[in-house]
Amino acid sequence: MTANIVRTPRRPGKRIGLGAGMPWILPALILVFGMIYFSIGFTGYVSTLDWNGFILSPSENVGGDNYVAMFQDPIFWTALWHTAVFFVVTFTIQTAIGFSFAALLHSKIHLAPLYKVIIFIPTVLAPATMAPVFRSIFDADGQFNWLLDHVGLGALARPWLAEGATAMPVVMAVTVWQWTGLTFILFYAAMSQIDPQILEAARVDGASNFRMLRSIIWPLCSGTTLALATLGVIGALKTFDVPYLITKAGPNHATEFLGTYIYQTMVQEKHFGYAAAISVALLVIAIGGGVLMRVRLHKKEV
Amino acid sequence: MSTQRFGWRRAGAIAIAGVALTTLVACSGGGSAPADQGSATEGNITWWGWTPDKTNADKLIAAFNEEYPDITVEFVSKPIDTYDSVIGPAITSTDGPDVFNVAPGSANGGVDTFQAGAVDLRPAVEEALGSDWESKLATSGVDGLTVDDKVVGLSAGAVYSGSVWINQDIFDANGLTAPTNLDEWIAVCDALQAAGQGCFVQGAGQWAFDMDTFEAIMENVEPGAYVKASKGEMDYSDPAFVTGMEIWKKLFDEGIMQEGAIGLQQYPDANNAFMSGKYAMVMMGTWYTQYAVKDIMIASMEAAGVSNPVPFTMIPIQFPDVADTGNVGNMFGDADYGLAVSAKSEQQAAATTFALWLATAEGGQQAVANTLNNIPSLKGVQPQWDNIDLVNADAQLDALKELTDVAGASTQPRFASVSADLNSAFRDALIGVASGDVQITDALENLQAVVDAQ
Repeated sequence: MTANIVRTPRRPGKRIGLGAGMPWILPALILVFGMIYFSIGFTGYVSTLDWNGFILSPSENVGGDNYVAMFQDPIFWTALWHTAVFFVVTFTIQTAIGFSFAALLHSKIHLAPLYKVIIFIPTVLAPATMAPVFRSIFDADGQFNWLLDHVGLGALARPWLAEGATAMPVVMAVTVWQWTGLTFILFYAAMSQIDPQILEAARVDGASNFRMLRSIIWPLCSGTTLALATLGVIGALKTFDVPYLITKAGPNHATEFLGTYIYQTMVQEKHFGYAAAISVALLVIAIGGGVLMRVRLHKKEV
Repeated sequence: MSTQRFGWRRAGAIAIAGVALTTLVACSGGGSAPADQGSATEGNITWWGWTPDKTNADKLIAAFNEEYPDITVEFVSKPIDTYDSVIGPAITSTDGPDVFNVAPGSANGGVDTFQAGAVDLRPAVEEALGSDWESKLATSGVDGLTVDDKVVGLSAGAVYSGSVWINQDIFDANGLTAPTNLDEWIAVCDALQAAGQGCFVQGAGQWAFDMDTFEAIMENVEPGAYVKASKGEMDYSDPAFVTGMEIWKKLFDEGIMQEGAIGLQQYPDANNAFMSGKYAMVMMGTWYTQYAVKDIMIASMEAAGVSNPVPFTMIPIQFPDVADTGNVGNMFGDADYGLAVSAKSEQQAAATTFALWLATAEGGQQAVANTLNNIPSLKGVQPQWDNIDLVNADAQLDALKELTDVAGASTQPRFASVSADLNSAFRDALIGVASGDVQITDALENLQAVVDAQ
């Protein structure tokens, strides 16, 4: 290439580079590296140890043994499978309900502000405060079975938290109940950004409400959907509080997730090295999932 | 590359390395114990533990201050589930507790884990009780809290399991007597359930209590087998364990365990269900004795959601002869908690005074005995029953005295011989067998595999 490229000379002191900004970002940089990346690195280091986690206790370097054990551990794979199923089910249901509610509340319905508050309230409630309530509701003598009995569906009554096949749906239902409010709010905000003229034009062309939802509103909310999917993947990987508080990850690991398994191996069994190895795996999967979603979003934008 | 940029990069790298090193040094904790151990008769010390509860801790501290008025003790209660998470960093700091609870075996606060942060109390206890001090204290309190000859903690008292508690008022109202074998147990539950009354409640999702029930079954099938196997001295494939597991499964299949038992926790679910009178029987140990006291029972019933509670007569009974062997009445237990003195404490002398007083002095042990939460560690100390306001002394006193005597004489450990890995394996085995998801032979093979790997 022979074209002359004329570079604009930078004026001294005006260069936008690492050097000029460094004094300003250094405190934050130290904090980020000291608190986050150091911790990640330290977790990676601990994952090569056989250690009980107490700082004064001796440790033994076992290299990659913890990772080998992890790949051979059926509970790890069970937890991973649960995470995948959990994400697909909760994300699909939350998206369907959140999107529908957002569309409904964009129409002129009576008492809309009240409905918005009601839908969003579960999102701000701490799982720890709600866990005893759900444990009571889904107990063998709980209110859910009482309701089934009183609507003629007594044959379906069962100890929901004591059976592997039903414990996971309960955990999913609680999660959907809690997080659909957030999905709704984000879709509601995204729909508010849609140019009314586009909808007006579609209406003039004779599009039905359903057609407008399917062909105009849903595609224009795709950015929000992908952002929610990214949050959903990360949220599913970090799932801990609901299964731990409601089912203790049981029965028989039926509601085991990576988070609960890390807690068990680290806090209860004192295998800090092994727990750190699973944490590293979780981190890799979370970053991988996030990047995948980001690439997907980027392709859509292009 | 400009010199300026290189400089900033280098400075940044140095800063990051500095932070990393500082964090490492801060985390490493270690180091020698403070040279000055302070006064043995005055000071302000802090005691961290998951037990006793605040009411009992206040009683113990008040009794201590009658003898040592110049040592102020502050008890900080920490939840048992997160105890290990908070105590580790705390005892590597001089700002942490001076005295902290430790427990035997795989329980939270395990001595094996935290012994490195505690001083050796052997010289102190030898000075207090003499060279034959071990013979003066309960075996469960000495063996379980000693690591490689280092006395990590002094047991304030022990808890023993193997007993079943019944609501005598419900039994009387239904014209029933406490079951003594499996057939009677099934019959009692059938009768109570037919009357619309819950029979036996267990939070089988909290497997530590499943282990209690299973150990009680095994003590009935073949005394000592449970502990031997956990130490690797007996194989889990032994027919005794097959029998034990079959009986465990029967408790679920024959309707003794309530429906959905493995979806519940012993605390708070089963405890609340028993305290609120929904069920007539529960598998609890000696720590439940305190609820036989009128005001404590009322408080416990209120906590279980009962409005205007009327205390009921609860009585401990022997675990039924479920295997028809006649081996009944065996109990098993460990130190409930031991008092360890932090190696980082700047008031080790005052902290040691408190630990020794509570765990080895007659005054301290009498105070422990009177809480009815623990069986005292010092032999010969009994609760002062005449000063204790039981709900129904005529019906309860003999049974409570017998429970205390039998438990105090027991030498069988509860969790002290069970490693953390074996503990988890028991969860998978017992809940798996109960739900039918795991075959008995597979469950026992898995238990043996864990012991073999240790």
